[in-house]
Amino acid sequence: MNAGEALLEILSSDFEIVYSPTFIDLKEIPNVDLAIVEGGVRTKEDERLIREVRAKCRTLVALGLCATHGGITSLGNIISLKNLMEKEYSLIDTTKLPELEDLMYPVCNFVDVDYYIPGCPPMPFLIIHTLKSIVSGKQPLRHQTVVCTECHRKIVPAKLDRLYGIYEKAVDPELCLVSQGFVCLGSLTREGCGAPCPRAGFTCFGCRGPPDSMMYRSRDMYAFLVKVIASRTSIPEDTIKEELYRNPFVFHTFIFSSFERAKARERVI
Amino acid sequence: MTGKEITISPNTRIEGHGKVTIILDDSGNVADALFYATEIRGFEYFLKGMEADRLPFIISRICGVCSTAHIMASVEAIESIYETETTETAKKLRELLLMGQIINNHSLVCYFLTLPDFWFPLEEDSSKRNIFQIMRERPDIGRKAIALRSFGARILDVIGKREVHILSVIPGGVVYPLKGREREELLKEAENAYAITIEALEMGKELFEKNWADFKKAGDYRTHYMALTKSGAMDFYSGKVRVINAEGEIVSDLGPADYMDHVEEKISSWTYAKFAYLKSLGWPQGIVQVGPTARMNVNRKATTEVADREMQEFKNKYGSPAHATILLDYARLIDLMYAVEKARELLQSDELTRTDTRVKVEPKSGKGVGVVEAPRGTLAHEYVLDNNGRLEQLKLMIPTQINNQAINLNVKDAATEFIHNGEIKPGLLNRIEMITRAYDPCIKCATRQTGERLRVEIKDNRGRLVTVL
Repeated sequence: MNAGEALLEILSSDFEIVYSPTFIDLKEIPNVDLAIVEGGVRTKEDERLIREVRAKCRTLVALGLCATHGGITSLGNIISLKNLMEKEYSLIDTTKLPELEDLMYPVCNFVDVDYYIPGCPPMPFLIIHTLKSIVSGKQPLRHQTVVCTECHRKIVPAKLDRLYGIYEKAVDPELCLVSQGFVCLGSLTREGCGAPCPRAGFTCFGCRGPPDSMMYRSRDMYAFLVKVIASRTSIPEDTIKEELYRNPFVFHTFIFSSFERAKARERVI
Repeated sequence: MTGKEITISPNTRIEGHGKVTIILDDSGNVADALFYATEIRGFEYFLKGMEADRLPFIISRICGVCSTAHIMASVEAIESIYETETTETAKKLRELLLMGQIINNHSLVCYFLTLPDFWFPLEEDSSKRNIFQIMRERPDIGRKAIALRSFGARILDVIGKREVHILSVIPGGVVYPLKGREREELLKEAENAYAITIEALEMGKELFEKNWADFKKAGDYRTHYMALTKSGAMDFYSGKVRVINAEGEIVSDLGPADYMDHVEEKISSWTYAKFAYLKSLGWPQGIVQVGPTARMNVNRKATTEVADREMQEFKNKYGSPAHATILLDYARLIDLMYAVEKARELLQSDELTRTDTRVKVEPKSGKGVGVVEAPRGTLAHEYVLDNNGRLEQLKLMIPTQINNQAINLNVKDAATEFIHNGEIKPGLLNRIEMITRAYDPCIKCATRQTGERLRVEIKDNRGRLVTVL
């Protein structure tokens, strides 16, 4: 919706939207060339639905981090289903409601996904580009490296003695955020967004998920981040570890599900 | 056709998903109606232990649609714990961002979700009844809808630094001052948006009249109403939460700090969405509604010219308090007018580009509440922070959760109005959907969940499925 004029252009030329519960009253999913799904799988009903969508489309695009990797909603996996039901919904009559899955999963755990567009939310230009490429039969441009490659900030080795909270001090407009002691996840996060957060002076939260190098080789992301921060701040690694480990939410905020990463190989846009 | 159950699923043209079941008695008249939410996420649990700095960013992910309103409530809750009062400039920028949120959401709901119901005859083929068909017939309307929504998104992008899940609003203020050039650009867009909204209001009122006779008795359950108010004038960003009864008498004026003590939630066996009500009145007397109509009912005036005129016209025509559910669609247009006028008014002042947008905060522990008017009504976040500045407890009071029981009652009322002797007329189910759609329910927020669905099934009185419509 935020694509503005580009949306009008795309609707008038190559696409006809035939099914969309948000905009169209059709209740049954028809057979389509291209299906775009948002959101992850939390209930048996979601699972049935995603299998139905897969069976009825030629190309399946997973849109947004919940659908591609699990996203914020998969943080719900922290609490067990049993515990949640006991604490909050002891009165619930589950025969009337869709049964819940044991965990929250991204859609690729159940069906084959042709293209993954992660982001929370994905940038409109990424979506438009991907759709146009698919229609013209071209492979969409894949973004394989990290957010730092799209960030204008200069990486310089600084001399700091500790890390800083996001709002503890004013942000230098030119300098790399990590060099200033902020925990920016740009060096661990897939590019393609245009780095709007670090450009505006905010740390990257990792909403595009890991880049190719982090997904398919068994690299320890925590250790990698510690090394990145150490090299850009001269803070001893042990001090960084201590600070990072103290906070359970620094990291993995956006990737906390049992995501079947091997299936996503070369399909993440 | 006796002893049936009608289920509407998925409920279309709403944000998120839901399901409605209507139970018919043996003579085919409506015995009961239920509005379901069918999933859960558990935000209250997984956010525990999160440091306050990061909280607004993660909590906005409850819902992309109203992310700005959630961030605003979240930051205000944290500021109340820190006992921080931000600057006038920051308050103005925040109010402008909230107007951006209202414009962004309401233009989507008014044009893309509800307009098709008024544009086409009620019996229209359901495959045609959508915005894309309207765009084919009238491309100019499509362009205006997109331009209006883009204006909301531009405000969020320029001041918030991202169109969805804005970054710049933090405890203590707004990170970056607005530049003079940016203000001028936004003001130009505001003038254009103003012209579009004036037109939308005229068109909307005319179309509304066509359906009014059919809907004035469908879902006019009388409840309490609640909204933020500032000396009797509508306000989204600050003021007191005023509660009025079905006769329009003021029941209480609550400051944000007291608000959470006055609302209580209960659960039911058949939905994952909780029900909120006024504690002092108990259940079910304390059923209360929030949202566009509540804002008209609670407030005497609006501080902007056109919105005020429209509000008085609304009150004269439909009474105050007004009860019919479908009036939400009308009142939402007045909200939209107010938001565009208010945004323009804020942008007209040089004061907006002052650079004092931030004060230093001193983290403290304790309990705090933040309240704002989100597009769907009064939204409150309550946090308890521990000595390390981490979240210890979290309570959210979400508009759809407050409206939950009223939605159920009004769906039942509307079903009773439309269904007689088990006869299903063409367009009937859409009429019932129009009642839930008018609330623009956001079930994601109400259950902090993803992906619920609305479907219509017809069951016999032993619960066996007969048909899915």
